[in-house]
Amino acid sequence: MPSPSQPSTGERRPRAMVIDRAWRGLGPGCRALSGPGGAPLTRTVKLIVLPLIVRPTLRPEFAADFLGAREAEQLDALIRESGAVLEATAQWFTLLKKTRRALGIVAGNPQDLYFQRCFELATEHGAPGPGAEAAAKSVLADVVDATGGRTVEALKEHLADSARRARLDAELTAAWVGREAATGAADTGPADEVLDACGVPGAVSPAFAAMVRAGHGSLLGRALWSAHPADVGDRADLWDRADLWGRSDVPPHLGLTAHRVPPRPGVGRSASTATLPAPFDRTLFERLFTVLQTSTHREHLPTVPELVEREVGRSCAPLGLHDESLRVTVVLGGRLAVGLDPLGTGGSVTGPTAAHRIVNSRWQREASVLRARRMTVSPGPDPDGGVLNALAQDLRTPWAAYMRRLWVRLHGRDVRDAALPDAASAWSVLDGVARSVMMDHRARVRTALRSLSANSEPAAEPRSA
Amino acid sequence: MPARHPAVTRAEDGTVQITEPIAGPAFTRAVLDVAGAVLTWPVLGPTGLPAAEIHDVAQAQQWLWAVYGERTAAAVDAVASGAPEAAAEPMAPEQPTALAESAARLAFGHWTARWWPASHLDGIPALEPGALGLELAALTHECQQLLDEAGEVEGRELLEEHLAALAPLVRWWQSGASPRRLGGVLRLIDDAADGLGLGGEEIGRLRSALEQDDGPSGTPLDLADLFVRQGEFALAAGSARPATGRVIARGVGTNNWCRYPPGFVDAAEDAVTWTVYALGAGRWIEVEVVAGGTAPVGGGRLAAEVSVERVHLAAEVHVDGGPPSRVPLARRDDVWTGRANLDIRASTTPSVEVGVLLPGFDPGPGADDRAAREAVRALARRRLGEAAAPHDGEAAQSGPFLAEILAAAAVEEDF
Repeated sequence: MPSPSQPSTGERRPRAMVIDRAWRGLGPGCRALSGPGGAPLTRTVKLIVLPLIVRPTLRPEFAADFLGAREAEQLDALIRESGAVLEATAQWFTLLKKTRRALGIVAGNPQDLYFQRCFELATEHGAPGPGAEAAAKSVLADVVDATGGRTVEALKEHLADSARRARLDAELTAAWVGREAATGAADTGPADEVLDACGVPGAVSPAFAAMVRAGHGSLLGRALWSAHPADVGDRADLWDRADLWGRSDVPPHLGLTAHRVPPRPGVGRSASTATLPAPFDRTLFERLFTVLQTSTHREHLPTVPELVEREVGRSCAPLGLHDESLRVTVVLGGRLAVGLDPLGTGGSVTGPTAAHRIVNSRWQREASVLRARRMTVSPGPDPDGGVLNALAQDLRTPWAAYMRRLWVRLHGRDVRDAALPDAASAWSVLDGVARSVMMDHRARVRTALRSLSANSEPAAEPRSA
Repeated sequence: MPARHPAVTRAEDGTVQITEPIAGPAFTRAVLDVAGAVLTWPVLGPTGLPAAEIHDVAQAQQWLWAVYGERTAAAVDAVASGAPEAAAEPMAPEQPTALAESAARLAFGHWTARWWPASHLDGIPALEPGALGLELAALTHECQQLLDEAGEVEGRELLEEHLAALAPLVRWWQSGASPRRLGGVLRLIDDAADGLGLGGEEIGRLRSALEQDDGPSGTPLDLADLFVRQGEFALAAGSARPATGRVIARGVGTNNWCRYPPGFVDAAEDAVTWTVYALGAGRWIEVEVVAGGTAPVGGGRLAAEVSVERVHLAAEVHVDGGPPSRVPLARRDDVWTGRANLDIRASTTPSVEVGVLLPGFDPGPGADDRAAREAVRALARRRLGEAAAPHDGEAAQSGPFLAEILAAAAVEEDF
C-alpha cells in the first residue's frame, strides 16, 4: 500500500497549476492581466484571483498548495465561471493605465494601485461602457487622494506652528520625566526558547505569551534608560548579567541609540532618509516621517494631529513602542541579531537557536549568490578597502543594521495598533527583517561597485546623428 | 531522454534542495534569485534543469510545477512536511518547460554581465552593457512568474539603468537586418515598462516605433556604429619610465577574476606581468597589469579622474613563499602599474608570485582556477562564433544574446 506521504500526481495537483491552466483557458480577453507567456501575472493571482475569486478563507478546501481531484475541478470551474468579470477587469485595467498615462501620473505600481478597484468596477458595471472614462478618472483621483492628508507635507505644516511646538516640547519633557523606573532585571535569555521553536511547522511556543505577560520587553526598555555596562556598578540589580545579550562585545542598546542612554526625543521639523539617526535618537518628526514614507495604505493611519499626539507618549515609552508584544519582539530580535554571522566566520557566539540556523544559512546562500554575481566584500578588515570595507564592517556588526530595520517595522505596526499575537507572527517579522537586511547589503554593494567602475562615457550614443 | 533525475532532500535548517548544489569556482555558476529559492546552473555544463535551494516552500510552490513539473513539486511538498522517504524517490525526467528555459537564459545572462572574459590580449571583445542590460530586463519580465518583489525591482533597475541603449536597439530593429528576437525583446520591454508604470521619452519613442507596426523599414545600418565602442585599446608599450636597473627575474602573475570587479583587468591569463630589477644592492619589483575595458578611465573627464584616485587596485606579491605584500597600482592609459622595493639578499634570484586584487572586494586568493578560466574563454569564443554566423533560427531561446551579436560584428570589422 502506498504511503500517504508519497503524493501521486493523479490525485493531488498544485493549486498554482490549476489556476494557471484555468486562466489560460479564459482566452485573450484577459491579456492585460497576464504575463508575457500567458500565465497570470503574479499580482493577478495575489491581488485578484486568490482574494477575490478563490477566497480560501471562506473556502478552506482551496487553502492548500495541493488540491485533490475534486477540489481542483471545482476551482477550475470557479475561475472559468469568472471569465466574464475577469475580462471586464482586464478592460478596466487597460483603460485606467491609459487614463493614468494621459494624466501624467507615474507614482506607484499600477497593478498594486488599481487591480482591486478594477475588479470592483467590473463587478459593479461589467465591461467599461459609456461614461467609463469619467469613472476611470474618478478612481485615479481617488487613489491619488487616498492618503487623506496623511503626508509628510501635512506633518511639516502641523509641526511648523511654534505654539504647538512649544506645547509638544513641554509634553515630551513631562512624559520623559514621568517615565516609570525599572522594576526588575532585564533578561533576554527566555527569548532563546521562542527562537528555538521558530520556523518549525506547527510548533507552538507558549514562551512568547509568557514573555509578553511578564513584560520582558518593558523591562529591557527601562533598563536601557538607566544603565550602561559602565554604570552597572551602580545599578547592578537591573542587569541579570553584565552581558545582557550573552556576549560582552555588544552594547546593551545594540545601536538603537548613539548615546550611552537614549536622550529625550525632540519635536523636530525635518528629516532625510540618508541621515536618519539611530531609532531612539529620532525626533517625533523623524519617527513619523518614516511611517508616512513607508506606508502603502496611509488611509488606514490615524490623522496627522492624532499621529503626533500619540507619538509623544510612544516616544517616551519603553523601546519607543506602546505594545508589549512588539517590545518583546525587540528582545527576540536582539537575541537573534547578536548571533547572526553574515560572513560565515563561524566563531559561534551565542548558543544558536533554530532561528539563528535558518537566518545564518540564508546568509550563507546569499554569500554564495554574491560570489557568483561577483559582488563580494573582503571578509577581513582592509584599511585600503574604502567604501567596500565599510560595508564589510557593517556585516561584522550585523546587529546594528538588523535592529534599526526591526525597530522601524515594529514602530510602523505600533502606529497602526498591529500587535503580534503569537510567536509565529513575530517570527515572520524577524525573518522578513533578516531578508531586508540582506537585500540592503546587496543593494549597497551594487551601488558601491557601480560608483567604482563608473565609466565617464555614456552607455550608448550614436556616433553620427 | 534526459538522464537527469532530480532528487529532493531536506537539509537540517529546513531548506529543501533539488539535486546537489553545484560545485566549482564562483565564475562557473549561473544563479538566479527566485521567489522562495535560489536556482543554480553550471555555466560550463549542459543546460538543463537547475539545482534549487528552497527556503520558502509555500512561495516556491507558485512556480515549482512550472519549472520542474508536478511530480517534483509534489515531492518538495512531501519532503517539506517531513516525509524523508519521498527524498529518495527518483523523479521522472521531465523536459525543460518554456519557463525553465527562460530562467536558464536569464541566469546565464546575469552571469555574462559579470564574468564575460573580455580581453584585448585574447581577442575576446567586451559586450555592450546597454544591449545586454535591456535584454536581461526583457528576460526578467518573461520570468515574472518566478520572481518575487526583489527580482522585479532588479528588472526595473536594469531597465532604468540602460534606457539610453533603447534608441540604438530600435534603430537596429528598424534596419530590417536584426535578429528576429530583437522585436520580441522590444515588445517585452514595452510591456514591462507598461506594467511598472514607467514613462519617459525613451519609452515613448519605443512605443510609437512599435505602434507604427510597419516594423523594419530597411534603413541600412552599420552594426559596428550602433554603440560607442568600449575598450578601444591602444596598448601603451612597455614601462613608462625607462628601467635603470638590470632585470634579474620576470614572470606572469595570476589573474584571478574573483578578486576584482568586472572590467577592471583584461581577462587574459597573461594580463599580469612582473619584473624584478637590481641596481647595486637595491632590488625592486615592477608590476604591470593590462587594464580592462570598463574600468575607470583616466583622463577625459574630471569625474573619471576622481574615481581613479579612489580606486586602488593592488598587486599581491609573495617572495620566496613569504607572506604577501601589497603593491598599490595606478592606472595609466591601458595599464595598471606599481613598483615596490624588495627586501631580499642581493645574491639570490627570488621566486615571486604576483596576483591582482581590489582591496575591500577581494574575497581571498582561493584555489588555482586556471583550467576553469580557460574553459570559460573557450565558451566565450564558441558563443561569439555562433553569434557571427547568420542568425535567425527559430531557436529564439538558446541563441546568442544581442550583445554577443554586436560584439561578433565588431570583431569582424576589426579583422
